[in-house]
Amino acid sequence: MEYFKSGLKSVLGAPQPGQQPSGADTVERLIQRVQTSTLLEDRRDACRALKALSKTYRLEVGAHGMDTLCYELVQDRNDSETIGYTLDALCNVLSPETFEEEEERGTDSVGGQFTEIFIKQSQNVTLVLEMLEEFEFHVRWPAVKLLSSMLAHRAREVQELVLTSPMGVSKLMDLLSDSREVIRNDALLLLISLTKGNANIQKIVAFENAFDRLFEVIASEGGLDGGIVVEDCLLLMYNLLRANPSNQNFFKEGSFIQKLTPMLQPGSEDGWAAQRAANCHALLQVLRTLVAPANPAQATSACQQIMRGSGLLGSLSDSLMASGVPADVLTETVCAVAEVMRGCGENQTFFSQVMAPSNPPRPALVVLLMSMVNEKQPLALRCAVLYCFQCFLHRNQDGQAQLAQTLLPATTEQVSGVTSGTLLCGGLFSPDTLTNWFSCVALSHSLVDNPGTKEQLLRVQLAPAEGHPGVHLLPQCLALLQQAQRPQTRLGLLQLLAQWLAHCSAAVGHLLSTPNAVAHLTAVVCDVSEEELVRGLSAFVLGLCVAFNDDAVVSFGRLALVQLINKRIGTEAFLDRVADVTRHEAYAKAAKHPQPTAATVADLLLDHEFCRLLKALENVVARAVAPKPEEVVEQVGSAQYKVLIRQQDEQLAQLSRQLSQVTVERDHLAAQVSQLAAQVAQLRDQNSVLKAAADEGGLQARVAELQQQVAKAAADQEDLLELMDDQEAKLTKYRNRLKQLGEKVEDDDEVEDEVAALTAQVVIN
Amino acid sequence: MSYAYLFKYIIIGDTGVGKSCLLLQFTDKRFQPVHDLTIGVEFGARMITIDGKQIKLQIWDTAGQEAFRSITRSYYRGAAGALLVYDITRRDTFNHLTTWLEDARQHSNSNMVIMLIGNKSDLEGRREVKREEGEAFAREHGLIFMETSAKTAANVEEAFINTAKEVYEKIQEGVFDINNEANGIKIGPQHSPTNPSLPSGGQGGMQGGGCC
Ligand SMILES: Nc1nc2c(ncn2[C@@H]2O[C@H](COP(=O)(O)OP(=O)(O)OP(=O)(O)O)[C@@H](O)[C@H]2O)c(=O)[nH]1
Ligand SMILES: [Mg+2]
Repeated sequence: MEYFKSGLKSVLGAPQPGQQPSGADTVERLIQRVQTSTLLEDRRDACRALKALSKTYRLEVGAHGMDTLCYELVQDRNDSETIGYTLDALCNVLSPETFEEEEERGTDSVGGQFTEIFIKQSQNVTLVLEMLEEFEFHVRWPAVKLLSSMLAHRAREVQELVLTSPMGVSKLMDLLSDSREVIRNDALLLLISLTKGNANIQKIVAFENAFDRLFEVIASEGGLDGGIVVEDCLLLMYNLLRANPSNQNFFKEGSFIQKLTPMLQPGSEDGWAAQRAANCHALLQVLRTLVAPANPAQATSACQQIMRGSGLLGSLSDSLMASGVPADVLTETVCAVAEVMRGCGENQTFFSQVMAPSNPPRPALVVLLMSMVNEKQPLALRCAVLYCFQCFLHRNQDGQAQLAQTLLPATTEQVSGVTSGTLLCGGLFSPDTLTNWFSCVALSHSLVDNPGTKEQLLRVQLAPAEGHPGVHLLPQCLALLQQAQRPQTRLGLLQLLAQWLAHCSAAVGHLLSTPNAVAHLTAVVCDVSEEELVRGLSAFVLGLCVAFNDDAVVSFGRLALVQLINKRIGTEAFLDRVADVTRHEAYAKAAKHPQPTAATVADLLLDHEFCRLLKALENVVARAVAPKPEEVVEQVGSAQYKVLIRQQDEQLAQLSRQLSQVTVERDHLAAQVSQLAAQVAQLRDQNSVLKAAADEGGLQARVAELQQQVAKAAADQEDLLELMDDQEAKLTKYRNRLKQLGEKVEDDDEVEDEVAALTAQVVIN
Repeated sequence: MSYAYLFKYIIIGDTGVGKSCLLLQFTDKRFQPVHDLTIGVEFGARMITIDGKQIKLQIWDTAGQEAFRSITRSYYRGAAGALLVYDITRRDTFNHLTTWLEDARQHSNSNMVIMLIGNKSDLEGRREVKREEGEAFAREHGLIFMETSAKTAANVEEAFINTAKEVYEKIQEGVFDINNEANGIKIGPQHSPTNPSLPSGGQGGMQGGGCC
């Protein structure tokens, strides 16, 4: 507010003496006129003039005229022309733009500050929303623009105000059906900013049939070949679906996924117009929201099934292999394929069978990997391919095994040519360090949670050059690790090793029996001149050698290694090195999302799956390397106790459950018993009455019948009593067991007394 | 999966009466013993068959908490059916029915079918609202009535299906204008209207200009 005052002073406070009235004076007089004139025509003229001045004298109109203009929206709401001028003037005052003719330029937040003032009265927003219902173009259109301006400045507050004003969102939705394109298109933009980050609005918009409307608009504009309106529609769809499981479910249940498929068909032959690329990019982002790794697994898997079934995955695969696809669209397509198959067996199998139209024909996966290990390809594309490959292997034991197979002697005959396995192993030796990193990480994903492939890859032999004797893959990696200078290559290799060693004693044995391996790792951890991450990962790898050590290599048994670490590095220092990794910003970034992304080559350091491994095993390693003195002996003992305690816990829970069940049953029986007691008493009464009566007449038969009933009731009662005894016995047993287990048991004595009393009563009867 | 009709439902009523549980039991055949407070609105869907016709139910489960009232009101207008739920073990939830009904009647289209549901019928021992009271309230206000248990699934299917039957009958009687989406009814993609003279609905502009 201070700003306005000083701004005004500079305009009003320095009048040129004796000259014609300044603009500010004119604005002042116009405002007066709107306030005081009794004639509609006068007010209308004044509003028209204010509108005309509202760019040049934006500050004055806003600072002095805001209240008047708002009041005018109420006062003359039936005169659409006046309302139109008023809204236009407000539009200029609140606009996020700076106008050329504006006198007092300087700060660009003028519109923001006026917006703040405007929305402070929440009924102002409601008023503007009501103006949307006015069909007149010169009312509806500025109302849309005014809302857009407010959202541009104060999204959060305006969203809440729209939500709380009755049917606010619904009114906006109706605009999408406006036949005047300008309004429809501006309404689209308005809805895009209105829905951003507000799940409640997103859901209402979806409820109001937004998806139907948007697909209609897209179709009428020519699908992906259409103009920027198509892109806007897709952006709005993206907003509605992103991180909104409820809307995603609605989209799936409404069979809208099936409507995406035909849109992906190849467009007009004359290549890729820039707008088509943008539209396609937006479409791919829409479909990725439905299968994002962060979504609930069940929801993602349902969408993945539909995407295969409806042919969407097929269309995506086709467009991957099509020629002339712009790089950013191709990259996004690779990511889309990745997520459509991530963790979904059928889709992974489907994609593994897609062939590229190359000569000779090769699997699409192999062709993709060829771009990944090709340093001439754009970085974003190479990252996307790594992601795609990772998603292909995610929870895909068959895919992992097949990759390992391509490297084993039986199948690596010359005829088979290039395979994903040979490409990746080749990549280990590339002079391009990023290629090394990509290849290591990709290979490491064939080992994730798969004991089989860990064993298989131990048997793989590589021939570094023609005629050389083969070297096993694991020692080869260690050799590369010792030769490599650049951190990226070394980090790649260390992550590959870590995945391999985790839960695999055989791999640990191979590493420990490779000459110099332990010495090298130890030296790196100790070397203060080394990169923090390299040291940390080396320490982690060494730690895995302790944790998964089965004492098969005599010189580096578990205890020997622990002592070595303690002596050479110091246990504390060693664990600090590992912890350094989890504190590194690269770790935070990679751990957040499975998709590897990088602005520059140097950004690629850690792999998401590796971060998960580190997190899962950090404590295991710590415990293995730094057992408390007594723990060494007692480790087994305490583990046994833990099992025992867990068993007892379970027993306890089960007994408590049984106890409460039995208590319920007993209460029920007690109720029945008292009911029967009452019945017996009643019958007895009847019986004595009848007995008395029987003397008088032939009621013997009736008496006999009743006596039978009594006998039966008594028998029933007997049974119930037995049952109750039974339950009591059980109860006591459970209670004792619970007591034995150390659980405090509330004594149910009161209830028991009651039951006893009841029982006694019944027996007496 | 194609359908003959699509109906939109809303579920309304006080917090904790079991709205979300009813929906979950209907869509997933599961019961959720912990109160997982609904924030705003959640969506669920299921296909049912009426009169040999596939009918898709799209259901919006709303939050009963007062704080969400202005949000949930936005859903009345476009719904063909509403399940108004109270808890038979909590009289206050029954006492609030009048407010709910007024709210619904004010914001919805007049043909919306409302089913009154007394939920938690499995908790007979803690009942505070007699079945007869529910029946009387329903009769008085022209609602259909059922007691259900989202826990044991008793009457849950029936509640959703009977509401759909009522909507379906209203369509047959011509009460609902099925071409107006604001009624919460859509005709399935493969089931263009039997009357060939009806417009296909692709035409924009009609709705927007209507008011002038
Ligand atoms: N015994 C029993 N418990 C039920 C039944 N239905 C719901 N509940 C329990 O009642 C509690 C509330 O259920 P919800 O479905 O979450 O309640 P809601 O109406 O959706 O509440 P809001 O989302 O806050 O509006 C939960 O603890 C449920 O387990 C029922 O039929 N029988
Ligand atoms: Mg709920």
